[in-house]
Amino acid sequence: MGRKKKFTVGDAVIYIVFVLVALFIIVPIYKVLVDSLDLKSGYGMRLWPEQFSFLGYKIILTTKSLYKPFLVSVYVTVVGTLLGLTLVTLGAYVLIQWEMPGRNFFSYFLLFTMIFDGGMIPTYLVMRQLKLINTLWAVILPGSMSVYNLVLMRNFFEGIPGSLLEAAQIDGCSPMGIFVKVVLPLSKAALASIGLMFGVSFWNTYTNFKLYISNRDLYNFQMKLRDMIQGSDMVQTSESIATNTLNNAAVIVAILPFMIIYPFCQNYFVQGVNVGAVKE
Amino acid sequence: MSKKKSSTPMRTSSKPLKVRIYTHRWFYVMALPVLVMVCLFSYLPMLGVRFAFYDYKPIGTPKFVGFKHFNDLFAKPAFWSAFWNTLQLSVTKLLLTTLLAVVVSLLLNEMRNIYAKKTFQTIIYLPHFLSWVVAASVFSLILSPSDSGLVNAFLKQIGVVKPGSEIYFLASKQWWRPVYYIIDVWKDTGWGTILYLATLAGISPDLYEAAEMDGANRWQQLIYITLPALYNTILTVLILNLAKVLNLFEPIFVLYNEAVYDVADVIQTYIYRQTFGVGVPNYGYTTAVGLFRSLVACVLVLFCNYASNKVRGRGIV
Repeated sequence: MGRKKKFTVGDAVIYIVFVLVALFIIVPIYKVLVDSLDLKSGYGMRLWPEQFSFLGYKIILTTKSLYKPFLVSVYVTVVGTLLGLTLVTLGAYVLIQWEMPGRNFFSYFLLFTMIFDGGMIPTYLVMRQLKLINTLWAVILPGSMSVYNLVLMRNFFEGIPGSLLEAAQIDGCSPMGIFVKVVLPLSKAALASIGLMFGVSFWNTYTNFKLYISNRDLYNFQMKLRDMIQGSDMVQTSESIATNTLNNAAVIVAILPFMIIYPFCQNYFVQGVNVGAVKE
Repeated sequence: MSKKKSSTPMRTSSKPLKVRIYTHRWFYVMALPVLVMVCLFSYLPMLGVRFAFYDYKPIGTPKFVGFKHFNDLFAKPAFWSAFWNTLQLSVTKLLLTTLLAVVVSLLLNEMRNIYAKKTFQTIIYLPHFLSWVVAASVFSLILSPSDSGLVNAFLKQIGVVKPGSEIYFLASKQWWRPVYYIIDVWKDTGWGTILYLATLAGISPDLYEAAEMDGANRWQQLIYITLPALYNTILTVLILNLAKVLNLFEPIFVLYNEAVYDVADVIQTYIYRQTFGVGVPNYGYTTAVGLFRSLVACVLVLFCNYASNKVRGRGIV
């Protein structure tokens, strides 16, 4: 807009900086991808596989101790995201009922948990008391109750014109009816945005697994990957493959689901951040 | 449920309390699941902090010991080492990623090719979504001292490192922290630019146009228009993140090892090891460490909330 369109030395410098930054981000991931397709270990500086093969991926797809953690990850992500969305939308919907007696108490009751927490060990002891240790609920339940996401959802809901809700109420719609027929359909973008945030955080969950789950049959893919990289878990397989190649392939498998949806969903993620920090 | 038509939204608030509770009865039902979850997973653990004053082992009943654990932990060098490491690692990370995010945002803002800009944003946001396990795996693979590691191979190629004296980046006290900061920068700088970019997009182009008319060059525009506009956002980001510095756990946990405890151990990892890495843990002691952490964190959050109110007229919680 009125600024010079000429390509200057400054522009050239900016492009060079960006290429370098992009390489810094991409090269580590690219290198892991290349090495995952290379049967010949001792990759060094090779930027292309010497002995190209999909064997690493084939092993992950066919070895039960490897694909089962992947399925656990999928299960936890799907169930956790749905439960999380249910909880935060309900909670956020209650929080925009300005005339509801007790609304402020409810609000402070939630916000206090962002100021003070019991800490790692008391939480662990509660999990044990509730008999949730070594069940996937120990990961799903705490992860789905995110006060931060709830506040974010409330910020989105506050953008819905109050007159719409009132009109529905006057037409005889029940609170639950308004929620399902008016609020949720108007919040598709928010649901996508917060749903994706839940999804990513459940997919990436590691700490809660480490704390509450010691049964290897219930490990998710992050746990499995961690054990493989640390060398504490030698994968039993009939094929002969360098441990390194298999490890590289496991890293790629861990990020693949996200990489597939990311280009299509990037804007929803960005929107979530801006609403969380900028809006009142 | 029949409702009278209300011409003004304020009308209902003048109704008696009983009526208001009755008309909102379904909302209480809707609040219930959230309340139950918060009670179970946030408030029950808060009650558990009383064990900080007990001896509590896996076997036997808890025994009240007063402030014994606090005296113990304040006398332990390992605890103080973890405490200062936590502050140093989080604050350095925060300043580093904030500074770099601002620089990258400013450069992005100068980029006029919209497609190049979008592509670049897509790339730099990406690592934020990868788990810390993945980040640690990627870097431990490329930093490996074996002949499979990219970085050591490169250093050998250019002659900085001799074969046989490869650098164990993640197991060296000298290298661990720089490597940790680099991974932090790799992972979160790009994502950190979002808020700055939103602020920059909100600056009126008229300002730049007027400045240009007055003969200001790009550099002067940056100093007198762009940076002042970013000031509030930078402060907000620093405050929001300062409140969280004591939460540091997973990034350290997946990157550290016995060789670098001195420079890498943080409060949360210390608690973890003292509980799950010893034969007979004393939950009382580790709860006490956690309570100390929570209290300091609480003071930090309240301070940041106060600061936030001063700076931008609204709190963070």
